[in-house]
Amino acid sequence: MEVEYVYTKKRNEFGRQCLFAESGTKLLENIPPNKDLLNQYVLENPVNTVRAEYTQHGCNHTEGGWPRDINIADLEQTQRFRKKVEKDDSYINTVLQLSNSMEFCILQNNAFNIYEMYFDDLEPSCLVDKSSARTVNMYRDPCPIKRPVTHVSWSPDGGSRIAVTHCNFDFQRAPPDLSTASYIWEVENPNKPEHTFQWPVAMSCLEYSPKDPHSLVSGLLSGQVACWDTRRGTDPVDVSVLEASHRDPVHNCIWINSKSGTEFFSSSMDGQVKWWDTRKMEEPLETLVLDANKDEQLLSRAMGASSLEYEPTIPTRFMVGTENGMVLACNRKGKTPAEKMSMQFKAHPGPVVALQRNPGFIKNFLSVGDWTARIWSEDCRESAIMWTSYHPALLTDGCWSPTKLSVFFTTRMDGVLDVWDILQQQREPCLSIKVCDEALRSMRVHEAGQLAAIGNDKGNVCLIEFSENLAVTNKNDKTLLTHMFERESRRERILEGKSREQRLKAKVHGSETAVKGPKTNQSAEFRAQAERDFFAIVNREIQQMAQASESMPAPLEQADTGEEDAAAAPRKASSAGLPTTAGGAGSRRASAASDAVGGSRKASLKPDDGAAAAAVGGGGSRAASQSSESPSAAAAAAGPAPAHEAAAEAGAQAGTSASTPRPSQAEAGPSPGQSKRSSKS
Amino acid sequence: MDDVGEESQFVVDEVSTIIKEAVESTIGGNSYQHAKVNQWTSSIVETLLGTLTKQQKPFKYIVTCTIMQKNGAGLHTASSCYWDNTSDGSCTVRWENKSMYCIVSVFGLAI
Repeated sequence: MEVEYVYTKKRNEFGRQCLFAESGTKLLENIPPNKDLLNQYVLENPVNTVRAEYTQHGCNHTEGGWPRDINIADLEQTQRFRKKVEKDDSYINTVLQLSNSMEFCILQNNAFNIYEMYFDDLEPSCLVDKSSARTVNMYRDPCPIKRPVTHVSWSPDGGSRIAVTHCNFDFQRAPPDLSTASYIWEVENPNKPEHTFQWPVAMSCLEYSPKDPHSLVSGLLSGQVACWDTRRGTDPVDVSVLEASHRDPVHNCIWINSKSGTEFFSSSMDGQVKWWDTRKMEEPLETLVLDANKDEQLLSRAMGASSLEYEPTIPTRFMVGTENGMVLACNRKGKTPAEKMSMQFKAHPGPVVALQRNPGFIKNFLSVGDWTARIWSEDCRESAIMWTSYHPALLTDGCWSPTKLSVFFTTRMDGVLDVWDILQQQREPCLSIKVCDEALRSMRVHEAGQLAAIGNDKGNVCLIEFSENLAVTNKNDKTLLTHMFERESRRERILEGKSREQRLKAKVHGSETAVKGPKTNQSAEFRAQAERDFFAIVNREIQQMAQASESMPAPLEQADTGEEDAAAAPRKASSAGLPTTAGGAGSRRASAASDAVGGSRKASLKPDDGAAAAAVGGGGSRAASQSSESPSAAAAAAGPAPAHEAAAEAGAQAGTSASTPRPSQAEAGPSPGQSKRSSKS
Repeated sequence: MDDVGEESQFVVDEVSTIIKEAVESTIGGNSYQHAKVNQWTSSIVETLLGTLTKQQKPFKYIVTCTIMQKNGAGLHTASSCYWDNTSDGSCTVRWENKSMYCIVSVFGLAI
């Protein structure tokens, strides 16, 4: 029996029908080879380096390497021995053994590129710290009508106070109710001045005594000087008598390093420098009129002092910057005024507004005037050793940093303070900050070097703090700066010597040419004329030559024209022309029957001369048509020496064939000045 | 048959984010170390498969993972399938960091 069971299930009960299809090849990923990555790829060290143990052997290869019976110099013998050894079993074994360890060592070396430059794709970071500055405080003129700050002075007791003078220098244009007060500010308190000094006349400068933090001296607009004491109130301790004082506003007062500590000196626009003692203000201790005249000192001739410099370490010396741009380095110990003003520097075209010796290099000083700041050395009188480029705005003040010797500051009319570090860069300031919109007037740096008080036109004093790298001296700054100053002054001295020499030469030369008459004076014009004539002749000659080679005319006619040309060329050029110098000399020499080689040597010094001589010679040689050299050959001779030889020869012939006056004229042709020049060269 | 539901479809975008997460969590910022590659590949494959199955989709999955050190060599890889084009799909992700490539492909085959 056959049992059959039919199991049926509907198609849709099986689920989805499988409709398989080939999807085709699909790209999963494609990474192209990358050369850069390959270059960056560093193999992981395939072998670990092991500690190397060193042993030392001695082996002299000239002896020990070869057996005794083999001559090393004989190539064949050595080669034969090598082959014999290479066949040796022990040799092969040894090499096989050694090659393993050798390979290991070589792999060790190859694992890392030992000449690899690390971090060469990194940007080199600048070694120099970023310089920066920020305004810390601002001290405003408390008066309703603001006056420009004319002077700032730090107190000697660690710089806790600033003495600020406000003064309007506008002559007779100041408003009548203008305040005349000047102030002392405590650095910490910008709201209210700690002390006020009042006197009917405004102060133009106020200077703290370096020894006593209570006493100050000031110069007044009236030309008087006054001494003040902060313990005494608003009035001055003493004021100088008007008759004995300056006749113009006092611009600078500086304390002197004296035993009593009460002496100071002042300078003014009237051209006087006066020494004072605060204990005796009736009259100055001493007066110096800034007049360079040796015989008598006249106040009318004196140069107004616009800045004053005093370095306490050289107490008898001081420097004055004048209104006409001079810097006078003076010595108080001099017996006569001329001795006192021993050194003069023509520093600036305009008034010298600031003057200061470098605190570390007393011989070098900074002068600020018109649009530049310059650094001078006392050894170089003629010119500064370093200077800044011309600024777009007028400079108003400048000073060195007391702590970092290579740094100096300049203030500008457009409210910008420039900080220069001459060790870093000299072309431009290493830091320029816009302090305010008004013109800056005066600045002083705190003794620690990091703070500076800067006064502006609107009566404000800004306290600026610099970053540390502008205040702290580095280890080799001093030596670097010494080298720099030395190098620059040496350079300047060399230039000075050279220019002096040139001037001397020019003077000598000038007098010589003046004697020689007008011929050489107008040389440029004559030379141009001679050149034109010369080339005209040459062209004509070339044309004639071409004609001559074509038609060969009668030699007699040719001789005539050629002779004329030969004579004309030196005559024309003799007026001043350079080319004839040698030609003239050559013909002269040849006519004198001396060696023509001398002339040719002379001519060969200047190719032009040689060519000229060749051209002249071309004419001359044709004039004497019997000459062994053909004219075309003479003209075509490229080298100046043979051409000239021919020229000299031809010149001689021309000279002999021509009438006598002509050669003599040619001889007289080259002016003495000209021949001198050619012999010099 | 034609109305293949959202849940029974292989959504490439979804899978590729899953792959990226899996690779990122396993390798991340590591640099190529030959000793670790074995561990990384298996870990990637396992986590990936785990997350894919957690989605509860009617799919069989094939996951492959290739890790290649970046040394400038090129690589070219392709696949070919015989499957139901309507429901099945594959997704390949290339992930790379500074020192290696990681190429992960997932094939999803509808049940």
